[in-house]
Amino acid sequence: MPQVDVRGPRFGAWVTTVVLAVALLTGSGWLVAAQAVVFAVGAFAGLRYAPYGVLFRILVAPRLGPVREREPEAPPRFAQLVGLLFAVVGAAGFLIGAPLVGAVATGLALVAALLNAATGFCLGCELYLTVRRAQTARTV
Amino acid sequence: MDATGLVVLAAALVVSALAAWWLRTRNGAVRAVSEEGATVPEAGTTSTAVLQELGARPEDADLTVVQFSTAFCGPCRATRARLQQLQTTRPGLAYLHVDAESHLDAVRALDVRRTPTLFYLGRDGALIGRSSGAPRPDELTALVDAHTAVQS
Repeated sequence: MPQVDVRGPRFGAWVTTVVLAVALLTGSGWLVAAQAVVFAVGAFAGLRYAPYGVLFRILVAPRLGPVREREPEAPPRFAQLVGLLFAVVGAAGFLIGAPLVGAVATGLALVAALLNAATGFCLGCELYLTVRRAQTARTV
Repeated sequence: MDATGLVVLAAALVVSALAAWWLRTRNGAVRAVSEEGATVPEAGTTSTAVLQELGARPEDADLTVVQFSTAFCGPCRATRARLQQLQTTRPGLAYLHVDAESHLDAVRALDVRRTPTLFYLGRDGALIGRSSGAPRPDELTALVDAHTAVQS
């Protein structure tokens, strides 16, 4: 299983938080859409190719010193997928003329990103079990 | 400047702060399980029985910790490593790791909502308590020490 420097996803979460905050303040659907593309690359191509991950490796990591801790890629990668869902709804809301829907979805993505950045909490990871539980409940 | 966006941003910051506080309070906090809570209503069995079915053998150790994890759970990994490390110096501690996804029936019976969720069983099989979210290392160590015979 691919491993990533734990500081990479945290850095990415901070950048995401700032991008989404700017998007909210400017009401820019295109900025949310750009963030959605960033999420999509991380979720589908892997964190190695995630734009903020690349930024981290080139600009930030060399200044931080050696890697102290690595983690499996799966949890942060899954979180990118959850972020993508919120960002797609957010971008669509802004761009098709439902700014309130756009703002609320973007706000939810921002909460998840900020919590992850500040505390390391991974909303998507926690929701994963909830979703799997609900699926069984329906099929039983 | 977008007025709606500004309001939503402010709300998002407040929600984040509240959530962070809540998580800090709740993560790893051990809740005692009442007699009612210890029984699993629909299955007509006890939590201990469900855990035993998964492979827990509380009679073999002073304290048995059962951890539910998923593959997409970062903190689970740290908690698991911590417990395995504690095990090397505390012979009275037994540890069982359960992949929640492949035991969804148990997950539902025990009402596991988050990962990691930990169950603490005494030697007599009684459920001492349970906790959700990654416990802080010092608190986890203190809890284990309180229930296992520490060799000093």
